[in-house]
Amino acid sequence: MSQVAVEAPPKGGFSFDLCRRNGMLSKKGVPPPSYRKTGTTIVGLIFQDGVILGADTRATEGPIVCDKNCEKIHYMAPNIYCCGAGTAADTEAVTDMVSSQLQLHRYHTGRESRVVTALTLLKSHLFKYQGHVQAALVLGGVDVNGPHLHTIYPHGSTDTLPFATMGSGSLAAMSVFESKYREGLTKEEGIKLVCEAICSGIFNDLGSGSNVDVCVITKGQKEYLRNHQSPNPRTYVSSKGFSFPKKTEVLLTRITPLKEMVEVIEGGDTMEE
Amino acid sequence: MKLDTSGLESTAPLFGSLSSGIHDEISAAPSFALPNTINFDGFQKEAIQMVKPAKGTTTLAFIFKEGVMVAADSRASMGGYISSQSVKKIIEINPYMLGTMAGGAADCQFWHRNLGIKCRLHELANKRRISVTGASKLLANILYSYRGMGLSVGTMIAGWDETGPGLYYVDSEGGRLKGTRFSVGSGSPYAYGVLDNGYRYDMSIEEAAELARRSIYHATFRDGASGGVASVYYVGPDGWKKLSGDDVGELHYHYYPVMPSTVEQEMVEVTGA
Amino acid sequence: MPQIFEYNGSALIAMVGKNCFAIASDRRLGVQLQTIATDFQRIYKVHDRLFLGLSGLATDAQTLYQRLVFRHKLYQLREERDMKPETFASLVSAILYEKRFGPYFCQPVIAGLGDEDKPFICTMDSIGAKELAKDFVVAGTASESLYGACESMFRPDMEPEDLFETVSQALLSSVDRDCLSGWGGHVYVVTPTEVKERILKGRMD
Repeated sequence: MSQVAVEAPPKGGFSFDLCRRNGMLSKKGVPPPSYRKTGTTIVGLIFQDGVILGADTRATEGPIVCDKNCEKIHYMAPNIYCCGAGTAADTEAVTDMVSSQLQLHRYHTGRESRVVTALTLLKSHLFKYQGHVQAALVLGGVDVNGPHLHTIYPHGSTDTLPFATMGSGSLAAMSVFESKYREGLTKEEGIKLVCEAICSGIFNDLGSGSNVDVCVITKGQKEYLRNHQSPNPRTYVSSKGFSFPKKTEVLLTRITPLKEMVEVIEGGDTMEE
Repeated sequence: MKLDTSGLESTAPLFGSLSSGIHDEISAAPSFALPNTINFDGFQKEAIQMVKPAKGTTTLAFIFKEGVMVAADSRASMGGYISSQSVKKIIEINPYMLGTMAGGAADCQFWHRNLGIKCRLHELANKRRISVTGASKLLANILYSYRGMGLSVGTMIAGWDETGPGLYYVDSEGGRLKGTRFSVGSGSPYAYGVLDNGYRYDMSIEEAAELARRSIYHATFRDGASGGVASVYYVGPDGWKKLSGDDVGELHYHYYPVMPSTVEQEMVEVTGA
Repeated sequence: MPQIFEYNGSALIAMVGKNCFAIASDRRLGVQLQTIATDFQRIYKVHDRLFLGLSGLATDAQTLYQRLVFRHKLYQLREERDMKPETFASLVSAILYEKRFGPYFCQPVIAGLGDEDKPFICTMDSIGAKELAKDFVVAGTASESLYGACESMFRPDMEPEDLFETVSQALLSSVDRDCLSGWGGHVYVVTPTEVKERILKGRMD
């Protein structure tokens, strides 16, 4: 059969066809656009029964806070989670990609995923792109070999640590860990320490802010504590609401009634997410 | 290093002051301290790029049978941001003379006021009003002495003197042009289009005012950096008079009235592509 | 030439109400400061209950829209149903991220009604980093003003007419502070039973 003339859905991988045009533009003096970043505080530590991960919830684009409550602790596998810092699209894409590879691997082997598998998949992807995929990650999980905590840098290097911090607030958070971390913390102590570290990032680093997300992973179970602490509630909401002095003037109105939704009976798993 | 700012002097008598010695130690001219930099021009350019409001503008002036008509918009912008919609871009130098403002707001305001002082001193020294020719030349000479140092001024001096109506275009590059029809600013091409099309020498004041207003309106419509209020001044034998100041937002619907809103039920298709 | 996102100028906003949503845009197409058109379509209908707004470089917006329509039609042929807003958002995100190293200069806003008429709104940056919001999302050259306006005007669970007023006021007041967007507004309010499309009277300068 001859080649299909229309562009078929891509098989995956990056497409570079706009690079020449965009390169030409930047040569003409057009600055490249800024992307959404998670100028972030993300942390992780190992406690007596497993791993605790923590993150703030601020996403920024330049000086603008564009999301006040985003999720930075990404799902990798039922027993593995991963905090992401750096360019939001990259952390999102790289964790999604690896989590689906892990899922397929579990279907194939029928065994629980190991943290090192996730680590290797992540670092080999990041190394391949030589730091251009800007994702700095804290990977934590519990598998057959017990609890694991790793940090992964955008260029693909990794560390294995009992406690780790990443992102623009990493120094603030690390100072808390360095002074208060010890081996054999209980779960409550661990969560408290993680919250304290994240809060020091939230309050001392301008790139981090809003709430504290925590994820506790122990053998066989996990607790995702979304917005575990909200130290920055809105204080300036008007109880009276907002009234407009002058109504909007409309030039033209078109009303299209919608037909009844036809019920579709979906069979089995849908392809969402 | 000091910069000569004898142009700033207001107390020195105007006539013969040039020869009496700028370099006279006793009446040392006030001066600006210059920045300590190797590349002075480059430094100036950079510094000016940092603080430069009122970039986009539409101003126009023309001579006709009854005198001079002067009009301008009122928007001040910094990049894409509109910093004010109510700027006075027509500066009243004295009851018989007007200046318009395009380019740097501070530069224009300062040097027009300075010109006002000089004109008044001329009046006191010579017991008669300065001619438009003379006033514009005073300004042009000052601007020329600062040429290449980063001033940004594009102005029209319009007025009525012993010879009748006068109109000059003066800019910070040192240019000074006599003419009957000028428009300055980012919206000037659009204003010229309307102005040149509708201009006749033997217009009545009402016709001329309408032409000026319409030209400004059309310029504000097409030019993103012009807008706000279209103010129109007329300078006749008895001095200047403000004829109108119309909000362009209302002017549009005055020129192009819209039909009252009709509700269309059941559209065939929403205009998509 | 400054920022490429400011080449054509745009303002986009989507807001959630009670079982309904509104998506609105300005109507200007410019080339830097020069206004080319004042009836430009920036919001596209994907299907009856799903709308897509594209801010940024207009040429990329139109290309991207055509690719998305193509992919949506393929989906309809294969699945015999419309895409859910969440699915569509993932599709847009994937198409944008595919061009991670040579992006479309576009920032999309997606708004739709999902299952059980639950409103869904979402925005992305030019490389597909999703931002799902519960209240409102904004994009375009007037986005900074829009953030401020929405942040103070938004109330949860607005009825469609209330929502329309809030969105319109936020849009019009924000574009009045932006050189590169404005020249009228275009608002869609979508409820489970009808789509109300309105053209707003705004300042034309």
